[in-house]
Amino acid sequence: MDSPQSSASASVNLQELLNRVDNDRQLLHELLSIFKEEFPGNLRNLRVAVAAGNLSEVAKLSHTLKGTLSNLAVAAGAASAAALEHAARSGDSTRVQAAFSDFDKTVAGLISEFEACLAEAHPS
Amino acid sequence: MKILIADDDALSRRLLEKTLLRDGYEVISVADGRQAVNCLSDSDAPRLALLDWMMPELDGPGVCREIRQRHDQLYAYIILLTSRESKEDVVAGLESGADDYLVKPFNVDELKARLRCGQRILHLEDRLVEAREEMRFKATHDHLTALWNRGVIMDLLTRELARSQRENGSTALLLGDIDHFKSVNDTHGHLVGDQVLREVARRMLLAVRSYDFVGRYGGEEFLIVLNNCDPVSAFPRADQIRASIGDRPIQTDAGPLKISMSFGVLISHDWGHRPADELLREVDTAMYAAKSAGRNCSKLARPSDDTRDFVPAERSSREPSS
Repeated sequence: MDSPQSSASASVNLQELLNRVDNDRQLLHELLSIFKEEFPGNLRNLRVAVAAGNLSEVAKLSHTLKGTLSNLAVAAGAASAAALEHAARSGDSTRVQAAFSDFDKTVAGLISEFEACLAEAHPS
Repeated sequence: MKILIADDDALSRRLLEKTLLRDGYEVISVADGRQAVNCLSDSDAPRLALLDWMMPELDGPGVCREIRQRHDQLYAYIILLTSRESKEDVVAGLESGADDYLVKPFNVDELKARLRCGQRILHLEDRLVEAREEMRFKATHDHLTALWNRGVIMDLLTRELARSQRENGSTALLLGDIDHFKSVNDTHGHLVGDQVLREVARRMLLAVRSYDFVGRYGGEEFLIVLNNCDPVSAFPRADQIRASIGDRPIQTDAGPLKISMSFGVLISHDWGHRPADELLREVDTAMYAAKSAGRNCSKLARPSDDTRDFVPAERSSREPSS
């Protein structure tokens, strides 16, 4: 078995992630492929919604990202998405801008981190 | 067991699918709330459902509300699985009709345990429905022959008479009585008598159309209601039914017995659509006229005093033995 403790990422809890998929590395690869395919588009849409001040769209997209990131054991990213969703629901555009900026920083490099995780967790 | 997953997030969907497939479920996945409602409305719908809250077309609570408004289907056990975790959300989700509420990310063991709770509830519901259906059957059917019981056949007759009056159609009433049934019981015992009653009931059911009604009217008396029956062909049809009872012996524990029936026949159209109880009196009189005429025949009840004989040419070969 690979050593999930030697995670290459501070954001992704690989042990928790492996528990979540019942140590099914094939599934882990599948989920990360979905993430790599969908995340950039979602982030782009979120950025557009924030810039346009479309707070309902911001709330919806950040809610989806919160669920995705929590499923992938990215606690800090999920918490940051939750803060953004909360800000959007409060209707405070200034808070939304700040929360998005924080979220953007938190998830920067996340795909690379997952690539590193995949390298650690070869399919069984 | 079949389970529905409704989640617009492909990653969540796949994670759930794989988790549940591994646990032996047959999984159906959809990506929006409208598809979830459609799937849960199918005749062969899953009885368990895991719904995300926020979905395109219709959200999870919306799906719950639509499904709970329907009462024509078996109960579906619905779990809302969402990252909305405030107490207000939990309350709103359950109030919408969800049976349970789980917050993402889910713990696999907790999810499985909660689904087993759902299965226990569904099993309990199945047993209750089964018991209700059994009680309903017992309340509406004769326990020996499984035909409609007297109360129900009377209700069905009343309903059909009203319908034929409304549509200016005609309903035929056939009141049949097993000939010399008392001597079957006296000679061979009541268990053999019961076998005769069951077989007579079975033969009558085979002889009528699927939408006609057959009921046990009394001890060895049966009432048949031929719906939407052409007045010209009603009497010959009635007599075919009578003939089908006696065309071969009935196998019993006492050996084969030749059994016949006498029938009174009434066509509602001939009587100007009178009430059921009046028509029953008339058809009863016709049935006794058939008995007086030597049994194993049918008599038509007519508004004028005369009754038309209908004795089959081959009757002598089918006289009852008892």
